[in-house]
This record gives sequence, structure tokens and C-alpha cells, in this order.
Amino acid sequence: MIISANVALTGSYDYSEVARSVFIAIAASYAALDLAGRVTAARGRIRLAWLGGGATAMGIGIWAMHFKGMLAFHLPVPVEYHWPTVLASLLMAILASAVALYVASRQKLGLVDALIGSITMGAGIAGLHYLCMAAMRLPASTSYSPLLVACSILLAILFSLIALLMAFGLREETRWSIPRRLGSATVMGLAVSAMHYTGMAAAHFIPTSPPDLSHAVSISPLANNGIAIVTLIVLVAASVTSSVDRRASGEVRQLNLDLERRVAERTLQLEAVNQALRREIAEREQAEEALRRSEDRLRLVIDTIPQQIWSSPPDGSLDFFNAQWLSFKGFTQEEMQGQGWQRTLHPDDRERVVRAWRESVAKGTPYEQEERHQGANGQYRWFLARGVPLRDSQGQIIRWYGTNTDIEDRKEAEGRLRLVIDTLPAMVWSKLPDGSADFLNQRFLEYTGLSLKEGLDWGWMFNAFHPEDRAEEEWRAAFAAGEPFEKEARLRRADGAYRWFLFRGVPQRDELGHVVKWYGTSTDIEDRRRAEEALLEAQDKLAHVTRTQAMGELAATIAHEVNQPLTAIVTNANFSLRQLKSSNPNLDELRAAITEIVNDGTRASAVISRIRGLLVTGSSRRTELEINEIIQDVITLLRNELTRNRVQLRTELAANLPRVQGDPVQLQQVLINLILNAIEAMRLSTEQPRKLVISSANNSDGVLVQVQDYGPGIEPERAKLIFEPFFTTKTEGIGMGLSISRSIIESHGGRLWNVPLSHGALFQFTLPSDRISD
Amino acid sequence: MVYVVDDDPSVRSAIKRLLESVGLQVELFGSAQEFVPGKTRPNVPSCLVVDIRLPGISGLDFQQELAKANVHIPIIFITGHGDVPMSVRAMKSGAVEFLTKPFRDQDLLDAIQLGLEKDRARRQREAEIAVLQERFESLTQREREVITMVVAGKLNKQIAAEIGTTENTVKVHRSRAMEKMQAQSLADLVRMVERLQVSVRTIL
Repeated sequence: MIISANVALTGSYDYSEVARSVFIAIAASYAALDLAGRVTAARGRIRLAWLGGGATAMGIGIWAMHFKGMLAFHLPVPVEYHWPTVLASLLMAILASAVALYVASRQKLGLVDALIGSITMGAGIAGLHYLCMAAMRLPASTSYSPLLVACSILLAILFSLIALLMAFGLREETRWSIPRRLGSATVMGLAVSAMHYTGMAAAHFIPTSPPDLSHAVSISPLANNGIAIVTLIVLVAASVTSSVDRRASGEVRQLNLDLERRVAERTLQLEAVNQALRREIAEREQAEEALRRSEDRLRLVIDTIPQQIWSSPPDGSLDFFNAQWLSFKGFTQEEMQGQGWQRTLHPDDRERVVRAWRESVAKGTPYEQEERHQGANGQYRWFLARGVPLRDSQGQIIRWYGTNTDIEDRKEAEGRLRLVIDTLPAMVWSKLPDGSADFLNQRFLEYTGLSLKEGLDWGWMFNAFHPEDRAEEEWRAAFAAGEPFEKEARLRRADGAYRWFLFRGVPQRDELGHVVKWYGTSTDIEDRRRAEEALLEAQDKLAHVTRTQAMGELAATIAHEVNQPLTAIVTNANFSLRQLKSSNPNLDELRAAITEIVNDGTRASAVISRIRGLLVTGSSRRTELEINEIIQDVITLLRNELTRNRVQLRTELAANLPRVQGDPVQLQQVLINLILNAIEAMRLSTEQPRKLVISSANNSDGVLVQVQDYGPGIEPERAKLIFEPFFTTKTEGIGMGLSISRSIIESHGGRLWNVPLSHGALFQFTLPSDRISD
Repeated sequence: MVYVVDDDPSVRSAIKRLLESVGLQVELFGSAQEFVPGKTRPNVPSCLVVDIRLPGISGLDFQQELAKANVHIPIIFITGHGDVPMSVRAMKSGAVEFLTKPFRDQDLLDAIQLGLEKDRARRQREAEIAVLQERFESLTQREREVITMVVAGKLNKQIAAEIGTTENTVKVHRSRAMEKMQAQSLADLVRMVERLQVSVRTIL
């Protein structure tokens, strides 16, 4: 109840109207809270529409509540309203609502924002209230209690702040948002009403003259209700719209959520799939990397292996060459392809190599050729080119793969070897197992002047050997024996001269031990042989001189030994003769002299016996021996003597001869003596050939040995004397040889004799065998 | 005196018997070593009969040794088996004869006679030289100088100038030297000095 001065008009409230105004306030509050959520949820133009629409609805609600409240205040005077001012208050209410919605719908609500918003809103509401008051046209002046005005303004601001905070807090849709919103709306509505009625309480109406009623209208109860109904419709419409929107937005959100969930699930699946895919991709990349590396390695191997590698399609047009090949030749892959590879071939090899390659390609047979290729430096080098076809399961050639191996060094070595073989001062040859030549080096051909064809097969013998040396049987036997051999033969030089050569052959065998080839050399030993012959001759001469000298010394000894007694004999005899001539001979001396003569004669005979005995029995050493061995030894000793005197020796030695006891040296002496006698006998003979036959045979006594020459023979009258000491037919002899020989043989229990022949001389001796002597 | 060197006793005794039968004195040796060159022997004409082949040193080597020892005794070689080079060597070394055993007795005797004759002549020559030597050694140093120059054909005046004295002094030395040398004439003196030549040279 507003009590003023007694002059003041007393107003009264229509409480149903008040209740309606409070309801409108609550509805407006609810709408405001609801709309704040919508504004917040909306974006862009829709947000602006919601803001505008919401502000209008809310402003109308607030204004309607105020206006209703005013209308509920009944004064005892008619009250009219100045409608432009009322309209202005409505606009102010809408503006204040817009501010409130704007602030409440912001993303964040800072304290400052809240304060500014609440002051603005509070000011707007207060302004609305007091504008409505100002619109009153009544015959009274209005005064205001400043305290209550301030109080109402503060309340407006305070309630605005609360409303903002509540609206901000409730704008999100939650399960409890509608009841909470209802609660909050009730609080807010009551607050707004409280503020309004506080403001109403601040006003005092003093009756005055009637007011200016221009532009004033009177609010009929119908209008009053109309306002309330319109306002409520607006509010309900706003709320419904908001609710629909909210639900729609809720469904949308639900849909969105489902969608998002599904999207999330799908994303997760996709993520997983992606992960797998990425892993797979990584693995593949790794594998590819590995493959690439492996390929790189292979390529590196192919390109760095010290071997030229190529390959070709089945048609033989080479299309791949490794780096070694290309870098050696200094061409690119493209330049070498097709027939390009032939350009580096040595002109001398080109035809052969190309033909061979074509043949291999045509027949599908492995290719192998030695060929020269020109390097980038212009030098030709030898290569061993090998190619093999790669075939598919049907046997069709898919590709050819090949290598070129540098064999320059080997070729060079071969060349050197060939040079060595052709220039070394020996003839080199190879022969088949039967001895027919299949290779003769240049030396051999140059020396003999034969062509290779003439020297092959057995031409090396028949076309080159000295006729006397063409002992085919012997040579064939040597090859047939399959053992390394050394043989000597004279080879005819191109100019016709003959020189002695030493043929050395070594067999090459297969794993079964069969001779597959002979390799050998023929070395010129002419000079060596000459030197040897000269040496042997010199040795012979020396031996001869020595023998002669020995004989001379022997002769001197014998002469001295024999001449001493002879001298004494002759001297004593002369003395005796002198005495006998004398008229008065000294008979004693004469007797003594003659006695000495007799003694010395006896002594001379003894000297000769002694010498013979000395020669025969000197250091005799008996052993059991094979006479054939003695004969062979002697032949060996005298071979050179025989050769030098061109004596052809034939031996006829019987096998299985009994062994004999003897002094090998003495028996050798006897044989040497007999053979040398034979050689000397034939030396003066012009008759050719000079033949000497030595034979051994079984004999009833033991063994019989014969030495037969074809010299001039022995005259019958001399035959009796030849065994006598000091009988000789030779200028150099002392006539002891046969005498001593006979003594030796006789000391062995055998006999030595001469068999008279019409032609030549034959000496025979026997030696008793052990069997006989036992 | 005949010295026989032969290793054969029969030969030695036969030769001794033969030589003694013709009145020669004979001494026998079995080897060269037995005949010692330095041994004093009767100063009578002598000769050696040596066998070439001797035990120890040979006859030819024996000949060399004697020559080295300045024993100038004539040598006759006898040998059982002589050859030409051997005999040439022996003869070159001054052998009187080279006889081959068995020899004719007369050949040996003739050779011995020749050898003895040679030795006799040598001995006489040596004796004469010894006398001349003795005479020459009786000369004073100055007299020797003077007669050496006289024999070389220098005039008294030249000799005086050379030895730094007067011609008369030279004449005195010369006549006294000729007296001591028992030279009858200048020619006689020249002959004497020539025979002494080797000795003179040694002295000067």
C-alpha cells in the first residue's frame, strides 16, 4: 500500500491482474532461458534470427508483465496512456532482452561481461518500467521516492545478473533442464515482479489538472486481456518453436552422435585397416627395397665381376653387355647391341667369330671361341668367349648367356711358350703312341728343311735320319716299351750335312697307364759327341802310350834283368878266351870265370821264369764268376777301341753257362790281350768289314771261349812260336802277351790254343767249371 | 885306376877279372852312394864304369852329381836297355862312351883306355895350372896389376899413367913379375895368364 501525503491519491491493486502479470513474468523468464539455449546452439544467421526472435518474444513478455502490472494498479482517477511512450518502452524491453540473450549465449561468461550485461539489462528493464510510468496520463503528478527508485534499479540489475547467470548455466540441454528451467523461470519471474512492484511503490500521484490526453489511449479490459493473451501466445510460440527446434536439434544431435559414433567406429576400423595397409605398404616397400638392393647387388656383381658378361635373345642379336665389357670397349649399351658388338673384333677374327656365333645360334650348341677385341685404348686383347643357351621346359631357347674371359696373358704366355718352343736350341716334338709324329717344332723343320707334312708320321725318321741310323725296328720297340728313352741318331741338315742328335722321349699316360702321347726333344750332340770321341781317342792314345810305356819299362826291366847275367857271361867268356890265348894262362881265374858263366846262364833262365811268374800270379784273387759277364765287361772296356778301328763286333754268348772259379782281372787281361791282338791284326788289313766274333759255349771241361778275327791270320811256321816268351810279330810288342795269357789260363786249370785257319785267326780257351773241378 | 859301379856282383866281378887281366887297377862299388865323391883317391889317371840302372840314384843322375861336386872323372856308361835319348843325354854330359850290355870286351877296354888318357891329360893340365897359380900368387898386388894390363896389350906409359907411377917403375914391376912367372917371353906370359884367366879374374 502506498501511503503518501494526505493529498496523494491512493491506488489499489487488482490482484488477479497482479497474478496474471507474475505468470507472464514467469513465462517470459522461461522463454528467455529456453531461448538462450537456442541462441547458444545456433550459428550464423540462424543465431541472429533466434536472437532477434527471442529478444522480441522475451521483450514482449517483459513489457507485457510490466504493463499488466501497471494495469493492475488502479487509481481513483482515470488513467490513460500515451501510446508512443508505451511503444518506446516495448522497444526498450526488446533491446534489453536482446542484450541479455546475447550475453547469455556467449561461449564464455566472464565477470565483467556478466556485470556489463546485467547493468545493461537492468538499466533496460528499469528504463522500460519508468517509461511505462511516464506513459501514464492521469490527472495527477507523479513523484518518485528516490530511495525506492534506486532500490528498484539495483534490484533490476541484481535480478538481471541472476537471470543471466541462470540462463548461461541452463542453456545446455540436459536431462533436468526443463524442471530446472521452470524453477529458474519462477525465481526470475518473481524477481522481475518484485522489482516492478518496488518501482510502483516508489511512485506517488498527486492530483493535478487533467493531463494532456493527446496520443493517449485508455486501456480497456479487453485490450488489457488482449495484451496478456497476445503476449502469452508470443511466448508460447517462442517456447514451442524453441522446443521444436531443441528437439529437432536434439535429434539431429542424436543423429549426429550416432553418426559420429559410427564415423568414429568406421574411422577406427579404417584406422586399423590403414594401419595394416601402412604396415603392408611398409613391408612391401621394405621388400621392394630389399629386392632393389638385391638387384643392385646383382647388378653390381654383374658389373664389377672381372669378366665380360653378355646376353642375347634367341636370334643372336646381343642386347646386354655388362659394365666390364662396355668400359673395356668404350661403347655404350646401345652402340653394342644387335650386330654392334662385332665392331670391336679384330679384322682377322671377325669372319671366323661371326660364323661360329651364327652357327651356334642356328644349332643351339654352346659357343666357344678365342677372339681378339679392341679395347677403348685401341689395343687388342684375346678373350675366350663362351655362350650357353638357356632353354625353357620345351627345350626352346629363351636366351643366350655368355662371358668373355680375358686370356691375353695366357695367350701371351702361349705365344711366348710357342716362341720358346720354336726358338729354343732343341727340337721339340710330340708323337702318337706308335711313334708317328704329330708335332714338330720350327727348329726341327728349319734344321731338316722338311715341311711339317714331310716330317709327320714317320717322316721324321725316313726323311731326316742318316740311312745307317734308320733302325725302324729299334725305334718302334722303344715306343712300344712305353718307357722314357734316350736314343742317338744322325739327322740330315737342310744342306745335307749330318749331325748327331740325342732323342729323348717321355710318355704321357692316361689314368689307365696307357701311353697317349710322347713328348720329346732332339738335342744336337754333334759337338759333344765329337768332343767325347776326341776325348776317348785322347784317352785311348794316352792308354796306348801308357801301355807302350809300361811295356817299354817292362822290356827295360826284363832286358836289364836278363842282360846282367848275359853281360857277366859274355865278359867272363871273353876273359876266358883271352886267358886261353895267353901263353901263360891263369887257370884258377879261368876256372872261376867259367864257373861264373855257368852260374849266370842258370840265373838268366831263372830271371825269365821269375818275370813270367810275376806277371801271371801277381795278386791273384779267385772268385766264382760268369764268363759272359767278364766278356761283357771287356767289350764295354774296349767298345771305343772297336769303334775307333771300325771293327764290327758280334757276340754269340750261350745262356746257362756253368760258373767258373777265377780271377776276374786276370781273365779280363787274357780277353783284352786276345781282342787287342785281333784288332791290331786287322788294323793293317784293308779288307772290310773288320769283323770280330766273341762267343762262349758249353764244353765238356766247362766253358769254351772263342775270339775270332778276320785279319791276315797266322803263318803256319809262326803258329808254333806265338806262345813263346818274347816272340812277337809286332813292332811295339815284347812278345809276352800270349805267353802270359796261356800261363794265366793254365793257372786256372784251363787251356789256351790257336786253331789254324785259312783265313783270320781263332783263339780258344777253356775254363773248368766248378762242377768239373769238384 | 878304374872304378866300376854296378849293382850286379857277377857283372862287377867279371869286369874286374877282365880289366885286371890287362893290368888295370880296379875298384868295385855296388851303388853310386858307395862311391863318395869327396873321398881322397890315388892321384893317378882314373875313369868310371857306371851302369845306368842303379839302385838309388841312376847312373845319369850320378854323373850330374859328380859334375856338381867338380869331380871331372871320365865316365863310361854300360846299360842293359839303352835307348837313344838316354845315350844322347849321357854323351852330352861328357860321357866317354855308352855301351850296351852285353858289350864286347875290346869295346870296354878301348873306352877305358880313352878315358884314362883323357884323365891323364886333364890331370897334367890341372897340375900346370896349379904351378902357374902358385907363381901368380907369389906376385905382389902391383905386379899382378901390371902384368894383367900388359897382357891386355897396354903400353908401359899407359900403365904408369893409370896406376900413377913412372914408366921405369912399371918396367921394374914387369920384369920382376916375368921373372917370378918364369916366362921366357911376353908371348909366354900372355899364354900363362890366359890359362890362368878364370883364376886371375877371381883374384882381381
